[in-house]
Formats: sequence, C-alpha cells, structure tokens
Amino acid sequence: MPDDKQASRVKLSYRTIEKIQRTLLLTPGVLLYSVFNFIPLLMLFYLSLVDWPGIGPKEFVGLDNFAKVLTQPYYRDQMINALLQNVIFFTVIIGCFLIIGTGLALLLSFRTYGRKTYQVLFFLPYPMAGAAVAYLLDLFVHPRGPLNAALTQWGLADAPIPFLGSEDTSLITMALFYSWHRMGFAIILILSGILAVRTDLLEASMLDGASRWQSIRHVVFPVLGPAFILITVIVLVDVFNNADYILLIMGPEAGPLRSTDIMGTFLFRTAFGGSADTTDTNFGLAAAIGLLTALMILPAAIFLALRNLRKT
Amino acid sequence: MDKIFKLNKREQLLVQFIMLAWVAVVLIPFGAAVLNALKPNVGQVFREPFGLPDPWTWSNFAKAWVNANFAQYFANSTIIAVSCVVLVTFCASTTAFVLARMPFKGSTFIFICFLFGVIIPIRLALAPLFDIVRSLGLLDSLLGVILVQSASMMPVSVFILVSFMKGISTELEEAAKMDGALPFTLYWRIIFPLMRPAIATIALLTFVQAWNEYFLPLIFLQSEANYPLTLGLQRFNQQFSIQWHMMFAGILIMMGPTILAFMLASKQFIAGLTQGGVKE
Repeated sequence: MPDDKQASRVKLSYRTIEKIQRTLLLTPGVLLYSVFNFIPLLMLFYLSLVDWPGIGPKEFVGLDNFAKVLTQPYYRDQMINALLQNVIFFTVIIGCFLIIGTGLALLLSFRTYGRKTYQVLFFLPYPMAGAAVAYLLDLFVHPRGPLNAALTQWGLADAPIPFLGSEDTSLITMALFYSWHRMGFAIILILSGILAVRTDLLEASMLDGASRWQSIRHVVFPVLGPAFILITVIVLVDVFNNADYILLIMGPEAGPLRSTDIMGTFLFRTAFGGSADTTDTNFGLAAAIGLLTALMILPAAIFLALRNLRKT
Repeated sequence: MDKIFKLNKREQLLVQFIMLAWVAVVLIPFGAAVLNALKPNVGQVFREPFGLPDPWTWSNFAKAWVNANFAQYFANSTIIAVSCVVLVTFCASTTAFVLARMPFKGSTFIFICFLFGVIIPIRLALAPLFDIVRSLGLLDSLLGVILVQSASMMPVSVFILVSFMKGISTELEEAAKMDGALPFTLYWRIIFPLMRPAIATIALLTFVQAWNEYFLPLIFLQSEANYPLTLGLQRFNQQFSIQWHMMFAGILIMMGPTILAFMLASKQFIAGLTQGGVKE
C-alpha cells in the first residue's frame, strides 16, 4: 500500500512538473508576441474611438474618427487620393511581376546555357535593404544621374527626364523601383510553379502533336494560377501597409504635391505629422485609418492565412 | 519533353539575348554605384557617369566610414539583428513545440492569435504600438526596437516551425517520454536538433528582415547613437546629398555584407527568403 501511494504521488508530480515546464516553454514567445504585436492590434479598436494627439488625456468620441476620414473633405480627399494612388502603385507592380516575371521564368525553364547563374543574378537585388535600393535608384534616375546621361547621349531624350520630380511620373517610377527590387521573388515563385508541372501531362500533349507554344499555353499556364494568385495576394498585403520607398525618398509629405501618397504614408503622416517639428499628430485618427486599411486587405490576408493553414 | 525545353541554336541565341538584357537591368545600377563611388569628385560623376574613375579614389569608402559614423551604425545594426535572431529562434521554437506537440485547452486559441498576427501587418497598428513602447519606457532604446522587431517576426516563424514539426515523426519523443523525459529535455535534446533546418530558415529570414528594417527603427529611435544602418544611411543622405560619389560609397558600404552573404549562400537565400515570403 505505501508503495502504491508513493508511486501515484510521483506520477502526479511528474504531471505537475510537465505542466509547469510546458507553461514555462510557452511563456516567453506568447509574452513577446502579445505585448509588442497582438495587444497593439487589439488596441486599434479602442484607440480608433478616442480623440488623442498621442499625449495627454484621451477623449472618447465614438465613431467620430471614422466619420472624419470618410466625410470631412480635408481627410476624405487625402484618403481617396492615397487609396487610388495605392491601387495604381499596386497595378503597375503586379503587371510587371506577371508579365516580365512569367516571361523570364519561362525562359529560365528552358535548357539555356548558364540558367543557374542567371537565376542567382536575377535574385540579387531581393535581399538588399529597401533603404539602400531606394537611394541607389533615386540617384540612378536623377535628372543629373547616369540614366538621364545615357538617354540624352543616345538621343533617346532631348532633355533629362525628371522621373521623380514630376507629378506624372513619380508614382510609376516608385512602383518600378519596387518591381526592380522584388522581381527575383516573382521569378522564383513562377519558376517553381512551371517546374512542378507534371511531366506526363507535357509528354501527353506532345504526343497529341501540340506545338511548344500550345503546350505552354494549355498545359503550363493553367497550372500557374495558384502561383499568380499567391504573388498577387502577397504584394497586395505588402503595398497597402508598407510605404518604405516613398518615406525614404519623398518623406511623409509624399511629394511632389502628394502624387506619391499611398496608404502607408497617409497613415504615418496622420500619426506623426508631416515634418519633424509638427504638432499635428493624431493617434486616434491614425488608429481609425489603420483599422480601415486592415479591413481593405483582410479578404486577401485571410485567403493567405487559410492557404498556410491548409498546408500545416 | 525535350522538344519543349530544348532549344535550337537560333532560339538559344535569342533567349541568351533576353537574359543578358535583364541582367543588364539588374546589374547596371550596381555597376554605376561602384564606378561612381571611386571618383574623386562629384564633377566627374555628373560629366561622365559611366566613365572610369580618374584617379581611382578608394579613400572615399574610408572617408564615408569615418565621417558618417558608419562604425556606430554597423554596430547597432549587428546588435539589433543578432539579438532578434536569438530571441526569435528561441521564442518561436519553444512556442511552436508546445503548440504542435503538447496541445492543451486553449492552445488552439493561442494558435489563432498568432494567425491574427500573420494576417494583419503590425505597421497598421503603429499608433497603439508606439503608445505601448513609450509607456514601457523603451522609446529610443535598442532594446525596444529589438523587442518590437522580434515580435513582428514571431507569427511567421511560429507558422513555419509548426508546419515543419507536423511533418516529423513523434517516435523519438515517445521513446524519450517513456524514459521519463520532461518537456525541457524533450525540447533541448530532441525537438531543437530535429528542427534545425527550419530554424536555420527562420534565423536567416529574421536576420535579413531585422538588418534591412527601416520603418520600426524610424518610429522608435531618436538619438543618432542608436541608429542602425538604414537610418544612418538616411542621415548620410541628408548630409552628403550634393556629394554623389560619397553617397554611392555609403550605399555600397551598406550593401556590402548582404552581397557577400548572398554570394556565399545564394541557394539558401533563395530558398529561405521565398519560403518566408510565401508564409508572410
């Protein structure tokens, strides 16, 4: 009897120790994530309901912040402008990725000489810091920079083109910067899609007498759908919250004349003001804008999460 | 098969031409940076941007390094990136271990909370995040930036690790449990070694992300002594905006380590970064 009792006590304490250790293992990660990521996300809901410049007392105003952004002309016009330009920004990038990316991935899938080397070279800009890429390309396309020097020398342009200085071209140029930086990522994703096409399908199409182009069009492209959707969703989520290039080159005012203003810069400007010495900060409004942006990208983001979940 | 992927001579020539054209698009900005970073003055940069430097002025790099305080920025970037890697690999692997292998009441809820972080980018919550960091007294400190950047990498890392762990068999753990091994031992002796490939992926991902991050340090750091390279480069840009040769040198100093690491381990980079991108 005493033996038995002791055994059960030992067993119990093993369980207890197991539980304690499990909790200890879980704590650091959960704590880190909740304090600096999860709780701020939840606090968006609360902060979006207060009027608060970031310091001093918070004043509860209900849905006023949302009403301000959606109806007050001063904020509404900025919001619409930022949103539309964000859509243009996104469209240019995704167009580049799908057209140039697919083309290059297709060529890389052929038996070309040196395709491994090309693959590495095409990927080269991707791991570089956005800050370095932004300044490098900024200097490169500057009216007095190398690109314009070459263009005028070869007679392709009469006068230097102010790519980033003019309202008409600055947003597109920014989108091209992004595409230049991230193209390798699109190429690799599409290429792995092409290489995953089942060889027996391709062989069957060849036996049926399909030409190369017909095989690619009817066998390879349909299978690339998921890769295209994936790239689109990733880029969508990214460009609607990340405005690094514009903050770096143009600053929070997103010049010239706000022609490069997208949601990320609008949000930053609302929270911290346009210039360093500004007093025009509004954390409540910024939270409302953040929440609205989150709502916009939510469908795409949920799709991405579900896809990941299915994989796990 | 061969008929589709094999090319005849003329096609090969055409494909090579297109490939080289894109290589030029990728490499010419880098090449222009190298050529112009070695020029003695800005006049030469403007006169003939693609001409060879005369004389080759290697001292630009030393000058940029010293004048712009790059040593300080470099040290800060290293501290931030290395701390993030340590913190994220440890916290994400322990969390993923418990969530994947020791489910309990509420573990699904915790997993869904992490999922939430994968869905909504933390940048959208910059106002509440700023508030929390300030009330903890972590504003303008490297520790604050390290914690925030690590936390932002947690959801993706936990996801990658949980999905990796679902794919490895539980036999070893079961055996160890039979022998009375407790979770700490299981984690350290069995799970951590088994997860090494996935942990290497998230370590690389975290390092690159933390090293390249611009936005979060921009919000949380004010004093120049704490600047990482990304913010330092911005300061440098304001300081040397007219002296382009110095600007190019500064950009190359910043890119140097990344290019070197990429050349040494391009395969791991491509695999790791695309995997991280897919999971984001």
